[in-house]
Amino acid sequence: MRIKKQTQIKKNGLIIRLAIIVIALAALVILPNFLSATRMTMISRIMVFSVYAMAYDILRGYTGFIHLGFALFIGGGAYFVGILFVRVATSWPMLLLAILGTVVYSIFWALLVGKVAASGGSVLATAMITMAFGEIMRNMMERWRTVTNGADGLNYKTPFPFSNRTFMYYLCFAFMVVMLVVLFRFINSPTGRVLQGIRENEQRAVFLGYNTNRARTIALLVAGIAAGLSGIVYGLLNRFVNTDLLNMQMTYNAMLYSLIGGTGTLYGSIVGSTVVIFFQDLLLNLRSLHPIFERWLLFFGALYIAVIMYMPQGIVGFYNSWKEKRMHKKMAQGAVVSQEKQ
Amino acid sequence: MGNIVTLLFNGISEGCLIFLMASSLSVVLGLMGVVNFAHGTLFLWGGYVYAWIYNWTGNWPLSILAAVTVGFGLGILFEKIFISRVYGNMSAQIMVTLGLQIVFTELCRVFWGAQQITVARPSFLSGVSNFAGITIVHYRLFLIVVGVVVTVGGQLVLTKTRVGMIIRAGVQNSEMVDSLGINIKRYFTIVFAIAAALAGLGGALYSPLNGTLNSNMGAANQLLAFIVVVIGGMGSFIGSALGSLFLGIMVAVIGWVLPDISLVAPVLMMALVLIFKPKGLFGLAVRK
Repeated sequence: MRIKKQTQIKKNGLIIRLAIIVIALAALVILPNFLSATRMTMISRIMVFSVYAMAYDILRGYTGFIHLGFALFIGGGAYFVGILFVRVATSWPMLLLAILGTVVYSIFWALLVGKVAASGGSVLATAMITMAFGEIMRNMMERWRTVTNGADGLNYKTPFPFSNRTFMYYLCFAFMVVMLVVLFRFINSPTGRVLQGIRENEQRAVFLGYNTNRARTIALLVAGIAAGLSGIVYGLLNRFVNTDLLNMQMTYNAMLYSLIGGTGTLYGSIVGSTVVIFFQDLLLNLRSLHPIFERWLLFFGALYIAVIMYMPQGIVGFYNSWKEKRMHKKMAQGAVVSQEKQ
Repeated sequence: MGNIVTLLFNGISEGCLIFLMASSLSVVLGLMGVVNFAHGTLFLWGGYVYAWIYNWTGNWPLSILAAVTVGFGLGILFEKIFISRVYGNMSAQIMVTLGLQIVFTELCRVFWGAQQITVARPSFLSGVSNFAGITIVHYRLFLIVVGVVVTVGGQLVLTKTRVGMIIRAGVQNSEMVDSLGINIKRYFTIVFAIAAALAGLGGALYSPLNGTLNSNMGAANQLLAFIVVVIGGMGSFIGSALGSLFLGIMVAVIGWVLPDISLVAPVLMMALVLIFKPKGLFGLAVRK
């Protein structure tokens, strides 16, 4: 009786969840018909940043790795697009070349960090070394003025279909859905299971005979390539790239999006980036009320600290634990009722 | 010849300045296992408070005192309210201190504006001497004196006093110290606050040297301090002194020979040390 009830509740939950996903997808497909161009671009941006945050979540949420130079992936992707379009030609072949270049570049940095993490070990050492790599990249782009225009950045045009806002919206949408599915499959693959094992207890995973360094390097590769590709799409969407994309701030963004949504869930990153970007937009609109709202980073930082200290599981984690509690309560009630019947 | 000596002199004085930040960062790291990513922000606050009071009153000792006091106060605040709640959780510590860095850097911009402000050197330190082809900037000489005083003083406190003994023991094994009936948590707060005050002092001494102050300087100098901590060995006070000297001279020499890579070279150095000598260039890192 009780078990039946439990499976019934779980089944209902699954149906509800599927329904929500279908409705959300349908809504996102028809949404461009009702939105202004600015809103549409904003939602496109949210979708690209969701992928960036999901990539970060693979590291932070599944392997417990703190990468403080993560911006070098998204910035790198966008710079490949910008540099090739401005310095060579605005064309399709250049886009393909940019994708190829970004993949190679992401693999290079991922392998390098993996090597250091394997030899250095501690969370601290990897945090510092990744921060250092991020700084090196930002510095190089700032100094390579003849090609990158330094901190002023590059303005460019994109080839035909990409110059259309509605097309870009659907491209970002498709990109997010595809990456979500791909990353989910990766997390549930045997390697992904090892990653979850590392997060829970690395020593035990080593004792069980898993090569944790290899698994971590694979995670770095997957996360790096995903973030690099999000950089390409962002470059196509934004048509402008400067060193802000390689800043520490960009890395903090990835941390904040995945943290607020809920680390270790992947889709939490989508929730997180939506909440944060809307929040940021709201604050910037409040600028006319009081100039303090122009310093939105202040609120951003406060929110960040509050989430780490009081809600480390994020919105999705918070919701899930609340639902679980409710389910247990329901089940307890059900058990009482069935006993009374007997 | 004169050039080279001047270069070394400048490098050593820069090293002394970095040392104020790096030594405190290193001791906090060794004692509490806390990586304080907000250390550069304390440095920044020291600089701004100094510039603010100095441009207002023109009283140099008062400005320095104010900067150190504000650093100390912020240190207590950070430790008591935020960091003490996440002890033992390395990644939460990194993230909380990053959050503090964002908030307090932004507060600096709210209070003192985002534009850079100019800071003059006090008149009795603003001179320059020429000495057989060697240019000696008095302010730099003063920085070296401060660096030596802090190194000697810090080392004496750490090795000759009871407090220093407790701190050294805490670096080795804080749980053991705690179980001997010493309230190690209180020492954590005090050490963190002193470290913050040193960072504030660093900021106050840095801004007149640089001449101007803007809100990005905290992060830039923090990176240098991290590099010193890694090079000198994490948790070692003397290691950070040697590391600071090494880095200061290295930056000065590279800035002269190959200015293009003067910013990348220290970072690269840190990467190499982490990969090949994770215990620091001098093998002084504290085993944890």
